[in-house]
This record gives sequence, C-alpha cells and structure tokens, in this order.
Amino acid sequence: MDYDSLKDELLSIADTGLKYAASLDKSAEFEVFLFVQSDIEAGINQGVVTAKDGIVMGNAVRAARGKKVGFACGSGIDAERVRLSADEAFGIANSIDVEDERFEGFCDSGASGKEGNFAKEILELGTEELLRSCEEIIKEAQSVDERAKIISADASASWGGYAVANTRGLLLGTSYGDNGCSANVQAIEGDERKGAFEFDVTRERVFETSGLGKKAAEEAVALLGAKKLDLTTKMQTIWTPVPASLYVMSSLGQSVLGQPVVEGISPLCDRIGDRIAHEGLTVVDDGQKPSGLGTNAIDHEGNAQRRNPIIEKGVLKGFLFNTYFGRAFGVDSTGNCGRGSSPFGGSTPYESTPGVAPKWFEVSPGKSSEEDLISSVDEKAIMVKGFPLGIFHTNVSTGEFSIVAGEAYLVEKGEVKHPVQPVSIAGSFYDGFKNLTGIGNDVLPMPWGVESPALAIDGFSIVG
Amino acid sequence: MFDELQRSVEAAEKMGAEFVEARFEDLTLRTLERTDDIWKDIQIKSRMGIAITSYVEGVTGFSFSASTKTSDILVAAEKSVKMAKASSSAAKLKLPFEDGDPIESKSSDTLSVKIHPRDQDLGYKTDLVNRMVETAREHGESIRNIRGLYGELYGTKQLVNSDGSKIDWQFLVTDLRVSVTSMTQSGAMVRGADGKGGTHGLEIFSEDETTPEAIGEAAGSRSKEQLKAKACPAGKFRSLIENRLVGVLAHESFGHLSEADFIVTGGSPLTEKLGTTLGTEHATIYDGGNVDIDKYGGLWLPYDDQGIPTSITTVLKEGVLKHYLHNRGTAAKVGQDVTGNARAVTFAYPPICRMTNTYFAPGDLTEEEALELLDTGVYAIQSMGGQVQGDGSFLFKAIRGYWVERGQIQYPIREVALSGNILELLSKVEGGTKELKLSSGYFGGCGKGDQFPLPTGLGGPMLVIDGVTFGGEAG
Repeated sequence: MDYDSLKDELLSIADTGLKYAASLDKSAEFEVFLFVQSDIEAGINQGVVTAKDGIVMGNAVRAARGKKVGFACGSGIDAERVRLSADEAFGIANSIDVEDERFEGFCDSGASGKEGNFAKEILELGTEELLRSCEEIIKEAQSVDERAKIISADASASWGGYAVANTRGLLLGTSYGDNGCSANVQAIEGDERKGAFEFDVTRERVFETSGLGKKAAEEAVALLGAKKLDLTTKMQTIWTPVPASLYVMSSLGQSVLGQPVVEGISPLCDRIGDRIAHEGLTVVDDGQKPSGLGTNAIDHEGNAQRRNPIIEKGVLKGFLFNTYFGRAFGVDSTGNCGRGSSPFGGSTPYESTPGVAPKWFEVSPGKSSEEDLISSVDEKAIMVKGFPLGIFHTNVSTGEFSIVAGEAYLVEKGEVKHPVQPVSIAGSFYDGFKNLTGIGNDVLPMPWGVESPALAIDGFSIVG
Repeated sequence: MFDELQRSVEAAEKMGAEFVEARFEDLTLRTLERTDDIWKDIQIKSRMGIAITSYVEGVTGFSFSASTKTSDILVAAEKSVKMAKASSSAAKLKLPFEDGDPIESKSSDTLSVKIHPRDQDLGYKTDLVNRMVETAREHGESIRNIRGLYGELYGTKQLVNSDGSKIDWQFLVTDLRVSVTSMTQSGAMVRGADGKGGTHGLEIFSEDETTPEAIGEAAGSRSKEQLKAKACPAGKFRSLIENRLVGVLAHESFGHLSEADFIVTGGSPLTEKLGTTLGTEHATIYDGGNVDIDKYGGLWLPYDDQGIPTSITTVLKEGVLKHYLHNRGTAAKVGQDVTGNARAVTFAYPPICRMTNTYFAPGDLTEEEALELLDTGVYAIQSMGGQVQGDGSFLFKAIRGYWVERGQIQYPIREVALSGNILELLSKVEGGTKELKLSSGYFGGCGKGDQFPLPTGLGGPMLVIDGVTFGGEAG
C-alpha cells in the first residue's frame, strides 16, 4: 500500500465491506470507516535512541435499526476483519432494547471538500534521516550553555488516509501527511531544573531543524534563577502563543462543540449573537486551510470539511457539529465529525465513535508585538510560557480553571524582571475572554490543532 | 500464535538481532455510556496484532502489524532489526542486558473470577448502568446531567523471546462509574462522582459497597452536597488527602519520576538519589503488579510486556529512596533487579517503563485521629486527574472536600486544584490512616508520550500533609 494508491484501495475495501453489511438486513442503516496511517518515529534522549516504524490499520462499523445503534471496530482492514465488525455492530443494534432518541440516521451523501497541501518529499524520510535530524538538534542545543544538560530530540514522518461508506450512498475518502521535529531541553543549576521545548510541524515541506535546539536551550537556561513571587493577588497575565493556544483549546475548543452545546452543559449553549469576549477577539475553525494539520476533504463521517466562524469581534457566531449533534440542535453538520479524543483523532481514531472535534482553530492576530504587551504593563504581570500544568483539567461547564505555570516571568512597569518559581493561576476562562487587554501579532501554528497569538488578560488570581 | 511468534524471533535473530521479543494480543474492549436517558455509546472493539522488538548492542528497533499473516509478521521482524542496526551508531547511551532464564507461564497466573464479562450478555451490563443512573437521580438535586459508564477489557496476551520464554495469560479490567452534574442557584455547575474499577469479575457489583445502587447514591448525594459547597480559599494549608487522591499523588508525582528511563538519561530529579532521605518516616511508596486484589482492589498484572514476572517494588521506604521502576535495559544499567515495569499500551507501541499499582503504605491512624492531626485545613477528596513536570512540580484536581477547623469538619468545599513539588511534599507527610485502598479502571488511565490510556492501579491510606498549595480564589 502506498500514498498514491491508498485512497482508491480504501474506497474499494469500504465499498465491499458496506455491501456485506447491507446484506445482513436491507432495512438497517450501515456505515463503514477505514483508516490507515504509516508512522516512522525516531528520538534521541540523552544518547538513548528509540525508533519505531509501522502501519496502523483499522476499521469501524456502525449499524442502526431505527434508533438502535451499534458500534464495533477492530484493528486491520482486510475483508474478514471488516465483516467481523459489521457482524458485531449489527448484533448490538439487533439485541439492545434501548434507543438513542436523538439518532436520525447517518451522514447524507454530498460533495467532498479539498485535501490539504502535502509535500511528497516527506514520503522519502526514513529512520536514518530522522535520526540525523535529531543529532543536528542535539548538537545545536549542546553548544548553547553547559547548564543545558538534559537534551532530547524527536522527529517523525507520517502519511495516511481514511474512507467512509454508508447506506445513504456516501463513498468518499481523503489522504494526508505531515512531518515534524522537536527539541526538549532541561537546564540544571544546583537543585533547580527548568525545561523548554521548540518544534516545527508542517505538511507543506520537510521540517527544518535549524534554530530549534538553540532556542529551546536558551529558553531553558533563561528560566534558571527563578525567584519566589510570594504574592497572593489578582493581576494581569500575558500568555505567549503556546499557552495562549492551550487556553483557547481547553476553553472554546471544548465549549463550542456539539455535545456540551446540545446537552446544555456549555455555558455558551444559548448565547449565539451575544458579546462574550473583548471586541478584538475573532476565532474561526478552518477545516479547509491548505496548511492546517487538520485539513481534509471529508470529516470522519463523510461530511465536507469547511471554514466555520466561532467568534467575530467578540460576538459568538457559531458552534461546531457533526451530523448527530447538528440534527439534535436543528442545524446542518459543520464538517466537524472527529473520532478519537485528541486533536485529529490520535493514533487509532477508528477505535472511537464519531464525536465532534475542531479541525483547525485560528485566533486572529491583533496589533501588539510581544514588546508592546510587556511595555503596556503598568504595575505587575505574570508572563506565561510553555505548557502550564493542568490546563486541560478544566471543567467545561463552569469554565473555572486552576493551572500551575512552571515557565513564568515577572513583568513589572513595562519590563521583564526575572523568572519566577511555579505560580498558580486561577479564574474563569470565559471571564478571561472578556478581560482581554491585548492580543499579539505573532501567530504560531501548533501541532495540537490551533494557531494563536499571545493574549494579555486581566483579573486572574495568582498564588506564588 | 506461539509458533508464528517463535518463527519471527528466529528470523530476527538470523538477521543479526542479539535479543528479540515478539508479542501477540487479542483483546476485546466494551464501552457502554448512558447520558441522562440516552444511550450515547454501546460499542465493542477488537484489538488484535503482533509487536516485535529487536535489540542490537543494547539499542532497540520496534515494529508492529495489525495483520497476523506470516508474511506481515516477518516484514515487521525485518523492519525491527534494520531499525535497531540503523540506530546503533547514533546511540551514545546503550542499554544492553544479559539473557535470562526461560520463563513459562502457568494457568494460575490468570486471576480467576466468578462472573467473567465475556459470559454475560449486553442486557446484564446495561442493567448495571441503568440501576446506577436511576439511583443517582433519586439522590441528587437540581441535576443538569447524569453520565453512567460501564467498561470492560479482556483477552489474551502472549509473548515469546530469545530467552525461550513462553508467556500466555488473560488480561481483565471492569469498571462502573457515574458522574452527576448539578446547577446551583447562581448558575454554577457542581459535580458528584463515584465508581469501582479494576481486575474484578462482575460479582463485585453485588457486594454491598459497590452495587450500582450504592455507587449511584454516593454520586447523587455528593452532587447535592456540592450545591451548598463554598469555594476553597486559596493559599497554603495543612491537608488531609483521601485515598484515591493519595494514589494520584503517588502515581503522578513520585511514580513517574521513579521510572528508570528518566533515571538513565538524568531527566528525573531522582537520578543518583538512591539511599537519599527524601521524605518523612510516614512516606513509603510501593509499585507492584501482583497486589492482593481481593483485599485492596487494583489491577492484576502477572507479567510485563518484556515477559518479566511482576513483584512488589519498594520504591521509597520510610522516606528513603530504594528502587527505580525498570525495564531490562535500565535495570542492567543501574545495577538493580528487573521490576516488571516494561509496559506497552497496545501492540502498536514498544514497552517502556511504566507503573503497575502505585501506592503509599498505610499508617496507624483512624480517620478521627487523622482529622485531629490535621487540626485546621483542607480535607481533599477524590480526583479528576493530574499532571506532573520533570522537576517534580504537580497539579491535581480534587473533586470535592471539606474545610476543617480544630479537627472538626466545618463545611463542604468545591472542586479545587492542589499543587506543589513532590520532593518538598514528601518531607511534610505527618501520618497515614490504617486502611489501604487501591483502585484502577477502564476509563481514564495513564499517559506517557503518546501511549495513552494505559490501565494502572493506584491508592494508599489517607495522608496528613502540611503545606499544600490550593488554587481557588484570591481575596
């Protein structure tokens, strides 16, 4: 199986699998999902090398008799494995006495969207090239400062595709690929340890290692000498693009999804048209951006992916739906069906039932540079970098969060003063969007399905 | 599959591998999810495939296949050897190990249960969830949402390696849990939750404390109590940490730091700290796959995914660091015994250093004595998970708790985040209760790198700890 023939092969197997499933009961509905992804990964961590090369393959079948729905999936895509899933799914739909009242059938057949860009040079990458890239990153990081002691580098290349067929006449597929590399550095001085990471992930070219190791090492070393903040108060926070993107994904990235909206758990569920954020905030989910890592011709149930406005100048414009939750809300799907919990479905999306997932969240840039955001601080602020602890342990219904920022600096009277020991930041995500005091102009695309500029927010509780 | 696995081991050895392990798994996973009156999910997964790790000069290459055809298995074997050879020159730190004696599994390695989920139909399991959800509804108030879950994971795990080991056993995890979300008069959402998971037959749901009705009642009444709960004050307080949250502390903060892949690379602050006093005499932490499930609960794991029999490892004894959690290569490098901690989340991943059941040892206090010792502070209960960084910083969410003054519970408090650094915290453990409780489950699980969710067990007694930072609202 190779990249060029993958989609056609998947469509053919899906079609055959669907014909078998449909033969089980002409009055039932069936849907077949097939997934294939080749992954080559290599990493060097303090001289220890890991390498992995394999092809993930899996199938999933949904069967529906009226409002009784069964789901079964399995590893492998050969005809026998697909038949096993079809039999199991039909067995569930046939034997249960419980109905899903909201279920109105599978996705209707329609046109396909566009696939994202893909640089075919990525297909040429093998274990040896990936390891060489890791060595380059490490060499660069080692040259920065002897306190940059624990250094690891990873590189990966993957390509794959999926196809969906259902008894409403839908038979569509898509293929994709990307590659990336990352540098992780821990700087150590005495008992103090500080970490930083840098990455490059793209589908449009072969990844670039240059500068990653150096930047990660410099960031990690700069965090050494952290002082205790020794304050419990409310103050401004500046979230650089990495934590800002996580802030957006762990709040809006969850609360605008069909399930919490339909179930009334999302506090945004009845706020369409309302001003819910500072007027400078515009957020779009774009499933068709050619460079977006989540861009595909179809989503995980066969709807064409598209561009969906979420917030426009602070006003809530829309939610994201798959077919199931769209119908329950009385609207069309927005092409946001996703299988699997992590962005883009993780390594085995076929093992999950169709849910709703963002495809590529874009937060529009503002006008302020990072220096502007810093210089606009009159009194004190905390500047957050890296991955704050606990950012994804957030309750979508309350929006309340409490995180620990390990990579943080004190900003005072318009200047970055010094790194601070881990500080706890708590508040409400939703209040935070209203209390934006600045939006950066430095948009950075992230591997977790979002691109965001830096955000400056007032009013969170800080415990240092 | 033994013959196929054996052939792949021999093929990889012929191509130049010094040691080979070939695994096969054929697992069934079933998930039932009811939200309010709707069955959101009724699904079954079949996870079958092979995995091959080749070792050349202490360097590994890993490949896998969802196909069990002989030709595909041999392709995986070839890829794994080629990768190991290609990686060898780039590896500056190699982790070779000596061959061991062949190990052959016994039928008694599989824990026997009275009611295996394989033998019960779907109706039996939906009934468990229905009874739990209905009881939760009866005991809750101002309910906005009830989510009931049932999960089961069972099947065959086999392994053959260059030692001549032949291992074959049956994995089993079952789980029943419920979460109730209620809305306060001011519009805030609060939660109550309960559940029971681990290596148990379905007979566990007939025992008094873990019937679907008991689980539902606990979750419903907790969400009701949360309607009156206040926000936890922010700052540093003395605390009494309940069993499950203690387990999260043992697992997330200390357990990960003791995984020996982080030790050999120097990535963990526990590197070169063997024999060092890190905590008080009340801080003892174990990790082991063959715990007494009937007595304490937890997860039954007789072998790891390198074919090493599990045991109980004393990681921290009365505050002193004693042992790391190893795979074959790290144990040889550090000069310690293998511990049976090489685990892979599925056949598509290589075994890496992971935990099994990680828990604090019990102390000698009753709950009343623990509250007295706490005096004034936060009694933090249950967990929604947590996270840790390489330096030992952690953040966990407690689902609920109480504010305690002079040993007396004053009022319930809402969901709250606890944070700190584990290495500081261990030196502030003042005592533990007598009762040891372990839990595990099908839902959630441990993540490391991209290997998620791996079922693990965790727990402990209740611990009194001085000076935990609680998030919440600054004044």
